[in-house]
Amino acid sequence: MRGSLRCDNYIHLRFAARVRWVLTVGAPTTSMPVRESEALILRSFPLGEADRLVSFLSRSEGRMRGVASGARRTKSRFGSTLEPFSYVRMWFYERQTRELVRINQCELIESFLEAQRDYAVSLAFALVSEVTEAVLGEHEVAEPNFRLLLVIARAIKAGAKLPLPLAYFAFWIVRLGGWMPALDRCSRCGADVHNARASMARSGLFCPNCTLPGQRTISQEALQLARRMASEKLERLMKANFATAAIDDVKDHMLNLVEQHIEKKLQTRKMTADEPGQLK
Amino acid sequence: MPDFAEPIARLIDQFKRLPGIGQKTAQRLAFHLLRAGPEEAIALADSIRDAKLKIRECSVCNNITDADPCLYCASATRNRTVICVVEEPHNIIAIERTRQYNGLYHVLGGALSPLEGVGPDQLKLRGLIERLKTGPVQEIIIATNPTAEGEATAVYVSKLIKPLGVRVTRIGVGIPVGSDLEYADEITMLKAMEGRRDL
Repeated sequence: MRGSLRCDNYIHLRFAARVRWVLTVGAPTTSMPVRESEALILRSFPLGEADRLVSFLSRSEGRMRGVASGARRTKSRFGSTLEPFSYVRMWFYERQTRELVRINQCELIESFLEAQRDYAVSLAFALVSEVTEAVLGEHEVAEPNFRLLLVIARAIKAGAKLPLPLAYFAFWIVRLGGWMPALDRCSRCGADVHNARASMARSGLFCPNCTLPGQRTISQEALQLARRMASEKLERLMKANFATAAIDDVKDHMLNLVEQHIEKKLQTRKMTADEPGQLK
Repeated sequence: MPDFAEPIARLIDQFKRLPGIGQKTAQRLAFHLLRAGPEEAIALADSIRDAKLKIRECSVCNNITDADPCLYCASATRNRTVICVVEEPHNIIAIERTRQYNGLYHVLGGALSPLEGVGPDQLKLRGLIERLKTGPVQEIIIATNPTAEGEATAVYVSKLIKPLGVRVTRIGVGIPVGSDLEYADEITMLKAMEGRRDL
């Protein structure tokens, strides 16, 4: 009996203390502050009855995934803002226990939907999107990648021929990833490769003496283009005339490096290779 | 020791494979069937088996059907000079609900989506070209979704068909009925303006 009373008193005191703490400090909240960020939509999938699962690159928060409730309904408040590569201002909130954020609202800043009506262009955007998703970890802030994607999307929208923006994108995605080998000397012996026939592999660029059997050579024109890409803006490069073979060489070597680092083949790369039109 | 008797666990596992159904919902469904009479459970099993065994694709339009050709392709009253091209069979239901369209259909089986690995080879385009070459078709209405993938598919299909001398039209895209212009985004509004018509 005495034990029971003591127990009741203990519970009563604990409850009273809790009430006092709530009154003085405030209720323990699980507040979910809405965040605001510029974002580029990478891709989206249908989810449930009428929702969309959206993968996006936020300028300030990095690559994230979120749910846009009711986005597939005809009168959805999201409209065309969740289409691939839409440049939007996004309001979302995240809960600590959930992997996916909840997307509240999107405001369109710039749309690239019209450009993607062409299948070759939509393939190019898909390649950019797949590579970005593969190389960036979730919540890894990547502002330079964000700016790179915008530059590429705007160049394609402006009507640039596709191979050069894609090669520029592949070059910079490798460089931003920290996987770019030195482009002026052999990775093994340090010899100058400015005028030599070189080959490129995951571990670097190799002079003719250090090249191993099976390593793919890279042309001098491609190396020169790559060196210019490191220091010049895309819009300036687009005014110059480069051989198609050199552009393709840079793109292929860079995408090889990406595939070696992510340890899987890019699905859209094979599809771009199968497309005989503007992508080559 | 398992949480449930083996047959129930197996039933829950099967329900969990369905889209949008998690552990709790699967349990609820399984226990509902256990509580229901045996005839209800057997009727469900029969309808699943029948749907799986009897439903197939129409050899003409790729719609899902229990008789080949499907009721639209076999109907004598439908207008054979117009074909409406849709992404999926369930899109046909949305168009049929209007009770205004009396032409035929062609189901592509998806839309061009490189990220999903869907290219032109994965769409059922060959059958459509054959129908245009052999039938009395005068117009193709492309009713793919107004998304990036749907638009790319529409443009691709139209480029493929136009050389055959058939009129190609696209369903209207823009402001939905009952909504407010104030809330339309720029692209939706632009599409609505582009698709304006004389009154």
